[in-house]
Amino acid sequence: MMAGPAPQTDPRRDARGEAHRPGRVTIVSVAATGFATLMLGLLVLPVGALVARGGAAGVQLLIADPELQHALGLTATAATVATLITGLLGTPLAYLLARGRMPAGSIIGALVELPLVIPHPVAGIALLLAFGRASPIGASLARLGLGIVGSPLGIGLAMLFVSAPLYVIASREAIARVDRRFEDVARTLGDSPWQAVRRVTLPLAGRGIAAAAVVMWARAVSEFGAIVILTYNPKVASVLSYDRFTAFGLDAALPVAAVLVLLAIIPLAVLRSLRARAQPWEPEA
Amino acid sequence: MIALEQLSARAGSFELRGVTVSVPAGAWGIVLGAAGSGKTTLLETIAGVRRATAGRVMLRGNDVTSLAPECRRLGMVYQHGYLFPHLTVLENIEYGAANHGAAREVATRLGADAFADRSVASLSGGERQIVALARALAPGPDILLLDEPFAALDPRGRARIRAELRRMQRERGMTVLHVTHDFIEAGTLGDIALVMEGGVLAQAGAPDTVFRKPASASVADFLGMENVYSGMVERASYDDAPAIAALRFIGDGIELTGVGDHPGGAGHAVIRAEDVVLARHPVSGSSARNALAGRIVSVAADGVLARVTLAIGTTTLVAIVTQASATDLALTSGEPVTAMIKATSVHLC
Repeated sequence: MMAGPAPQTDPRRDARGEAHRPGRVTIVSVAATGFATLMLGLLVLPVGALVARGGAAGVQLLIADPELQHALGLTATAATVATLITGLLGTPLAYLLARGRMPAGSIIGALVELPLVIPHPVAGIALLLAFGRASPIGASLARLGLGIVGSPLGIGLAMLFVSAPLYVIASREAIARVDRRFEDVARTLGDSPWQAVRRVTLPLAGRGIAAAAVVMWARAVSEFGAIVILTYNPKVASVLSYDRFTAFGLDAALPVAAVLVLLAIIPLAVLRSLRARAQPWEPEA
Repeated sequence: MIALEQLSARAGSFELRGVTVSVPAGAWGIVLGAAGSGKTTLLETIAGVRRATAGRVMLRGNDVTSLAPECRRLGMVYQHGYLFPHLTVLENIEYGAANHGAAREVATRLGADAFADRSVASLSGGERQIVALARALAPGPDILLLDEPFAALDPRGRARIRAELRRMQRERGMTVLHVTHDFIEAGTLGDIALVMEGGVLAQAGAPDTVFRKPASASVADFLGMENVYSGMVERASYDDAPAIAALRFIGDGIELTGVGDHPGGAGHAVIRAEDVVLARHPVSGSSARNALAGRIVSVAADGVLARVTLAIGTTTLVAIVTQASATDLALTSGEPVTAMIKATSVHLC
């Protein structure tokens, strides 16, 4: 008697009827693990080496070096102010983009994302052109004592320009995940549009918006390219690290750089904590 | 009162077109229609959460077309409830209520007080619908829009909530517009039935009229009419004929006599399966104008009823009789039978 064709349920064949080859699966698994390890190495190794070489000295420097303390304080303050201003101005923009209520929304959405793809020194040059002393706006601001170049204001502006798009994009996604009908129901229950947003949409999108703010703050803290063009002095932490490297060499730059890496753990921990506190009703961030 | 005049609206690529209908103050309107026929869009446009592209929405005799939803003083319940998940059940119910005592009373009447302190996430689908209903009723609206509000309730819960809502509607004199797929609900609650089809109002009228005299073959089909035939309608007389005239229908392999206001020409004949009388032998001396000889194709039990499918010439006819009748007449497949239908039960549209 002739044997019939192998049935579809043959465990040695996949859904397309192709024969299982245990050897091939093993090779794929090993290759995937190898690539993943290589990727992890590329990400972790430089940071690990930096902290290992300069971590202890950096902690000592944190206590003893007033210039580093000032740079860190300036960095954190400028990043916080930039984040707060973006929160105030960027949340309505994110809301209008999320709800499709912005005229020419797709064009404006693309404009918001533009700073993300501009090289950061180029962003610094653009800011210099728009707000430098030679520009009408910059000259007017300078007359009011609000000079952009070489001032904390310039640092905040550079931070806002390069990192605000991250806030607007992430907030827009968080708001878009809240079904519009929650607001509609709130409106039929007597809420004005603003009340519906404040009482329903913002609480539901709150965790995503907070995460967006943390990401923006972290990106602002690490900014270098735009700031160095606009405001070399007073120095933020990233500029100080670069300054020490160019003036005194690697050994002098290492502790400052290590401190920056260690401080980056703070926003990372906040982000992880926000993710861990997801409510059962929240969509995945 | 809810009055719509040539109301049009757009929801994505879907369009609601030229809906004109009126639901009197204190009446219960039922909205029927297949999925995607525009029922929810209709309610949303009345509520004001969707903008009307043309026409007018009149509530309590006032034009509210340009008013914001919060100024229309109505309640709306979506099928999925859309309870605010960051609030407790009680906070949801009290959300729009100026008087929290009144909100708690509504919760008690609907039985939502039993889970008032629970989180929304812990509620079953049916409990969510009860809370959504209580939340909409708590501010005391005199107009209520319901989009399949009982769909997730078990039969006993549905009957209880339906009865309580009916009592509240009568006490408050509320005008209700209620989307449902439940024809029994439509028949028991509705004072007026609206049938939506492809974004237009296909028919509006008393539920009994809509069910007995569907305006078109597609409405009849949607309403579950088993016997719908296409063909030609002939009026007995065209000159100076009264609006209601004797009609003759020929089509789909069947000939029928009916009465109605059909102008003649292409049309459909609709016969409710419950209106077909079966006899084992031809009956003489009956007032039924249609006696159709056929053969039984199948007999299917459906509770106390039996659904009998007959072959009449080249077409089929479905009759619904009691199980007792089916037994007494010994209705079995292959047996000859005569179907009798009164001319007034043949609806020509």
